[in-house]
Amino acid sequence: MSGKKLLKRLGSVGAAVRGGRRRWWAATAMFFALLGPGIITSNVDNDAGGITTYSLAGAEYGMQLLWTLIPITIALVIIQEMCSRMGVVSGKGLSDLIRERFGARITFYLMIGLFLTNLGNTVSEFAGVAASLELFGVSRYVSVPVAAIFVWWLIVKGTYKSIEKIFLAACVFYVSYIISGFMVKPDWAQAWHGLVRPSMNVNSASITMILGLVGTTIAPWMQFYLQSSIVDKGIKIEQYGYTKVDVVVGSVTVNVIAFFIILLCAFTLHQHNIKIETARDAALALKPLAGQYCFYLFAFGLLNASLFAASILPLSSAYTICEAFGWEASLNKKFAEAPMFYGIYSLMILLGAGVILLPNIPLISIMYYSQVINGIVLPVILTFMIVLINDRSIMGDYVNGKVLNTVSWATVIVLAVLSLALVVTSIM
Amino acid sequence: MARLEESQELLFLSSLLTHTVYAQGGGAQAAIVDFVADITALYPQVTGVLVRTGKRTAPVYIPLASLEIQEKFFVLAEGFDRYTEPYRRKQTDILLREAFLDRQIVDTNGAKIRRVNDLQLLHAKGSLYLVHVDVGFRGLMRRVGLLRLTDSLLNALFDYELSDHFISWRFVQPLASPDLIRLTLSTEKLSRMHPADLADIIEDLDIHQRNAVFQSLDVETAADALEETDSKIQISLIEDLETAAASDILEEMSQSEAADLLGDLPEETAEEILREMEQDVADDMKELLAHVEDVSGGMMTTSVLSFSPSTTVQEVFAALRESAENTDFIYYLYVVNENNHLAGVVSLRELFAAPPDSRLIEIMHERVVTVHIDDTKENIADIFSKYGVIALPVVDDDMEMRGAIIFKNLLEAVAPHLG
Repeated sequence: MSGKKLLKRLGSVGAAVRGGRRRWWAATAMFFALLGPGIITSNVDNDAGGITTYSLAGAEYGMQLLWTLIPITIALVIIQEMCSRMGVVSGKGLSDLIRERFGARITFYLMIGLFLTNLGNTVSEFAGVAASLELFGVSRYVSVPVAAIFVWWLIVKGTYKSIEKIFLAACVFYVSYIISGFMVKPDWAQAWHGLVRPSMNVNSASITMILGLVGTTIAPWMQFYLQSSIVDKGIKIEQYGYTKVDVVVGSVTVNVIAFFIILLCAFTLHQHNIKIETARDAALALKPLAGQYCFYLFAFGLLNASLFAASILPLSSAYTICEAFGWEASLNKKFAEAPMFYGIYSLMILLGAGVILLPNIPLISIMYYSQVINGIVLPVILTFMIVLINDRSIMGDYVNGKVLNTVSWATVIVLAVLSLALVVTSIM
Repeated sequence: MARLEESQELLFLSSLLTHTVYAQGGGAQAAIVDFVADITALYPQVTGVLVRTGKRTAPVYIPLASLEIQEKFFVLAEGFDRYTEPYRRKQTDILLREAFLDRQIVDTNGAKIRRVNDLQLLHAKGSLYLVHVDVGFRGLMRRVGLLRLTDSLLNALFDYELSDHFISWRFVQPLASPDLIRLTLSTEKLSRMHPADLADIIEDLDIHQRNAVFQSLDVETAADALEETDSKIQISLIEDLETAAASDILEEMSQSEAADLLGDLPEETAEEILREMEQDVADDMKELLAHVEDVSGGMMTTSVLSFSPSTTVQEVFAALRESAENTDFIYYLYVVNENNHLAGVVSLRELFAAPPDSRLIEIMHERVVTVHIDDTKENIADIFSKYGVIALPVVDDDMEMRGAIIFKNLLEAVAPHLG
């Protein structure tokens, strides 16, 4: 609670007279107060799976797939905007709305699907921890259990909120990709070409890659997480404009960073025909900036991203599922009062970290394929979202307009076609 | 098919909703959309059924009296032709599926928000009453269609019998829509909860439900609950109220809580509320607001009792009877001389033990532990722990008495630091 020198404030009649200047300040202050959910979600989005998928896209396809980032950015902005609008107008989380609108059976199976998808993502975060610390020569049999305990302690002891800012600040590591991107003096004409001229090979490998790119950038769990954060902040519809800015800034940032990761890996790895098989290979992309220290820079970035996301994913999943079924869900409760909540949370960390400790697990593939699964699950979640946001009994006058509906349905169809195509091409 | 009309049985709403309505003699049929019940009854009684006769037609209402309940379907005595008017909702109507199924409710007995998996209706003598709300895992599995699998799995693997979890209608407060909350809150189920529990519930509700519930409470319950609520949520609740209603509730709260809340509100809102308040309460508030929150002045209340040294015990009792209800703290009575200088203190226990005609000056303790109006909470905490009192008088530079800090209010200020 802030100090309350109200009398003094009440006395300052002059303040009201200097309205113009104050309003500008008030608007700025309001923006920073409401800023957050979109930008935080986006930064968590650049997790282990994200960095890996973008690196692989650059290393294997060069600049050919850069163009996908444009439709992905548009789709991301539109989807996140829908989520935050639903949060603001209904005051409810996404799984809450799904349960009330679609009933117990559909929700049950959807939550099982979401649990498995999120579990895949959690596994990939611990893979990120293992991969990044192996660059320092730390065995995964040490790093992963320590990371699991650290994440657990962070959340259960309630220290997460203070650490969140450190995680966020450490996201500045991503800037190293942008700086390196300029330092290598890439062929900008070729990059521009890759960005504006869509092309792809129709085979299962490149379809998988595009699904992975979409799935990592527009991950299903993000929609649940973002909407809950908006609801928690208690943002009112009159303040919604600021939230829109927050969402757009966040979405664009993710994709700018993705652009530079792909660009760098295309320039440093693809052109020299280096295939990424370990994190060591991906770290080479940062060599122009950091020279022999590129491993460290990459490792720090990946470790921070992995821990950040590993703190949020299991927690967000536990909240989402408990919300759908009406189970007690709060970190302020004891284990016996909220057994399902802590059970799901613990199970995710345990399984997520446990899988990595199995012998001979390929870390890069785990991080990559978990994102492909995201891409396959996404159209399902999106379909629910579009139905919900067009329901006047929930959204009142804030239902989707024609343009938004067209773009979002188009995204669903494209993703569904890609998923089908993946199945077909891998059979053939 | 056995006729069930004479016996009593419990039926689940989810299975009743799968029934079809047939017209007598076969032929026409209709799907059930919802059940309409009268919310004013002690246990809501189903008055009729909403059915859809065609794909695109609006639902029509058929009174339960015209229907005969069979095991898998309803039989309509006449044809459907009599029922063509689209259903119009009455004030006291509640649609069971819409209001409950998959929705949240407050379990006022367990003081928790829960999600409804199913409803259990009592079928007796052709009538249906809502008696239980199913919030258990078995109910969920029944809805999903995996009940038998779950039961046998748990039994085979863990030798565990999953039990049902029903809540009696008497402890259910529906939350589906603000209208419904307003309509049903008159039953005062929520007001009977402990204010701290009620505050927890309010914090857990979504913003629309929260405002609707809060605004339906009577002033006293609202004030009690608000005192226990997190400050961020306090602000949003108050900002959603009319100024007059807000000031009524704040007047009902304990002084120091109300002052804290006012201090957290945007200044314009606080100013409006103060203007709406009774003059003497508003003056007290302003006095308290002048102090920073983590020194004595910010934690104290001025709503304590003080008397002149010559007052008799009898007179004190008379005054107590009059003002105890609206005073924050009555267990210590402070004795002040004409300059408002603190002269002594008498506890309620000592007052009871004293002869009615003795004067306060004869029974009071003259050595009183005080705190200064600018003392920090750390200092105050030390003094509390050293002397073991439940309240400390607050004095200013001139040793004039300004109010008192109740231990509870200090606890709220230091509890976050205790971990």
